[in-house]
Amino acid sequence: MTSDRLDATFAALADPTRRAIVARLAAGDATVTELAAPFRMSLPGISKHLKVLERSGLIARTRHAQFRPCHLRAEALDEALGWIEESRRIWDERFHKLDAHLRDIQQAHPSGDNHD
Amino acid sequence: MTDQELGELSFTRTFDAPRELVFRCLIEPEHLTHFWGPAGTSAPLAQIKADPRPGGVFETVMVNDADGSEYPTRAVYVEVTEPERLVWTETHSGMTVTLTLSDLGDGRTHVRIHQARVPAEFRTPQAQAGFLTSLDRFAGYLAGLPPQR
Repeated sequence: MTSDRLDATFAALADPTRRAIVARLAAGDATVTELAAPFRMSLPGISKHLKVLERSGLIARTRHAQFRPCHLRAEALDEALGWIEESRRIWDERFHKLDAHLRDIQQAHPSGDNHD
Repeated sequence: MTDQELGELSFTRTFDAPRELVFRCLIEPEHLTHFWGPAGTSAPLAQIKADPRPGGVFETVMVNDADGSEYPTRAVYVEVTEPERLVWTETHSGMTVTLTLSDLGDGRTHVRIHQARVPAEFRTPQAQAGFLTSLDRFAGYLAGLPPQR
């Protein structure tokens, strides 16, 4: 996944309405009318959010069907969440090494000046 | 989903070392080379460039120990306030990393990492100012915490 693509995914998920739509679609495909039901929002308003989600690759819509049910592309969401997990792992491992490094240099120079 | 903003990551760790020393480890290549590469990788000293002042470069290369493949990262420092805060932005991804160091008063240091993928529309000076303000508040909150035992 490219960096731009990840940015688009996170930008799409930055909005609470769009997060709610994604959460709803995680439970199964739904039409625009069904998605609009829990919100005090017009169908065009919901459609605008769906377009953002579609462009980011988070949802897909059937082109030919009359009711065009929306479908969550779980792999796109997984990739976005994977970035968070990967970043967390990198910092965790770096900090583990830093902890050991700090112990080493403080043992080497216990009297105060820890600099090289 | 959690209340944490997606696309943002917070990570904290307490180190048994004074804040000035921890800060130096985070900006000096001679220290960075010892820990910058995560498990299974190394960060060769010769390939680390760090010019810790706003606008200065911060470049590192992580080398995979198994196959030698290289992962270069190029960033630019946004803020360097020794010994409490360090901010840089990765040039290719636009991701901003903020490290906040808090002196726990007993020789230990609390470090908080905040990493955010900031979409282009949020990269304006106004948006950045708001971003820093919220970090200021968090740093203030951390500073007011009693040392943890």
